[in-house]
Amino acid sequence: MRGLIHYQLLTYIRSYQYIPPLTMYILSLLINYAYTPNPILDSYSFTSLVLFFIMGWFTVTIFHAEDPGQKQITLFHAKSLSVYYAALFTVCLLAALVFSMISTVYPVMAGSFGIAVRSSHFILGFLAHFSLAVLAVSLSSLFTRELVKNKTNTWWGVLSILIGSVVVSALEKSIGWPVWLMPPLYLSLDMMSATDHIQKIPILFYGKFGWIFLYGLLCILLFSGAVKRKM
Amino acid sequence: MRELLVLKNITKTYRGKPVLNDASFSLFSNQITALVGRNGSGKSTLLKIAGGIIKPDSGSIHRNEQMCNVGYVPEITPAVLPFTPVEYLMYMGKIRGMQKKELQERISDLLDIFGLQHVRNERMTGFSKGMKQKAAIMQAMLEETDMLILDEPLSGLDPGAQQEVEGLLVDLKGKGLSILLTCHETKLLEQAADRVLLIDDHRITETAGEKENEANVILFVIPSERAVDSLPSSAKIRQQTVLNTAEKQIELAVEKHDTNKTLEILLKNKASIQAVYPLRSSTDIQHYFQKRGGGV
Repeated sequence: MRGLIHYQLLTYIRSYQYIPPLTMYILSLLINYAYTPNPILDSYSFTSLVLFFIMGWFTVTIFHAEDPGQKQITLFHAKSLSVYYAALFTVCLLAALVFSMISTVYPVMAGSFGIAVRSSHFILGFLAHFSLAVLAVSLSSLFTRELVKNKTNTWWGVLSILIGSVVVSALEKSIGWPVWLMPPLYLSLDMMSATDHIQKIPILFYGKFGWIFLYGLLCILLFSGAVKRKM
Repeated sequence: MRELLVLKNITKTYRGKPVLNDASFSLFSNQITALVGRNGSGKSTLLKIAGGIIKPDSGSIHRNEQMCNVGYVPEITPAVLPFTPVEYLMYMGKIRGMQKKELQERISDLLDIFGLQHVRNERMTGFSKGMKQKAAIMQAMLEETDMLILDEPLSGLDPGAQQEVEGLLVDLKGKGLSILLTCHETKLLEQAADRVLLIDDHRITETAGEKENEANVILFVIPSERAVDSLPSSAKIRQQTVLNTAEKQIELAVEKHDTNKTLEILLKNKASIQAVYPLRSSTDIQHYFQKRGGGV
């Protein structure tokens, strides 16, 4: 499995497909924190939303980086569909982890906030970024070439589901109970609308982040089932 | 000759459409077996089932206990490989679970066999399609392989590369490998295949016999057409390949009974004979194709 993860990572790096999303990500951070001081949780909320879209972009390019002919060979050596896709998801999640850390740490290091950053801000900031990044990876994987043949449909599908998730957060109250079936991006935005003077993270917040991670996991399981069925 | 693999009554459907219907055949050691049939007839699916890559809906697969490893080369030659041959083979071996030391030795041997030692540390992005195809075959032989499965190994290669890969396959057979392949190239079927299985209507419908029994045509490969004057009447030029502006390669097919006479004339004309092959009757192979409306 380590060899496969290393191979997929190197294939992606040498494909140079990471350059456009990485450039967009760096620019968004620099522009967002160009003027100081900034509110803490609001800023984190905005950059986590940006990361949500950027991770969708990363996911599709990571899943599509390997040559289609080579993919069959790699699958043959991996001897298992689950192992092959676990390696791809691991690469995506590693990227999500690194970018979440950078998004949380960079403004603190750059002194972009008006007040002192407490551990509660830091934990909330990291969880908001990482949970939305995981959600983006899992939702976008459902539209990669493994399940959607046409590349145009892949991009429209990813864009639609990510924008749809944002729209749900605006219509959350009018949707009623079916909102629990929708991608739970709105939960993160709700929590991040708390005041910067928050002292302690309410237990309920952990439950809500937990649901976002669980929703992501369910999407990955759905992906897995659909790929196996397609084979 | 050992029986390596027996497939019986294999059936496979995709989204309700039959791809294979009651297909049965056996594979033997030291043989090149070719699977021919129309596009969409189920050839690639049958290869994948034989290689254990996908499972059939029904039917049985019996493997000889002594057969350990199967190598697989897919239909699409990898076009973009951002690795050197050594890096690429190391990764494929590691993914397979092989040890580093064992891999290093095996890779060095394979680079020698396939003539890629001189480019071992060059990125494959600049390689020709033929070289990439060689890399694809090498990965299939990382472990000691008993059977090699190749889906259209000559597809998209130029005549020179086709000849090289074809020669390589014959050499591998000589080393004891059993090879199962699909192809559209009649030349490969004539020159290299020991058995030809025809797949039609999603099942194996016919098999052409052993090559040895049908080698009634002899093929001479010579470099110039100047030497072909006054040859026996059965002699026919099958193919001319322009190697470069100054060189041509002529393939001359003659009936078996005219072999000695042809040889004498070629030697008298000081023609340098590059290769001599016994051929399965060309008309037999063509007959299979034409009978099915040319859709091989």
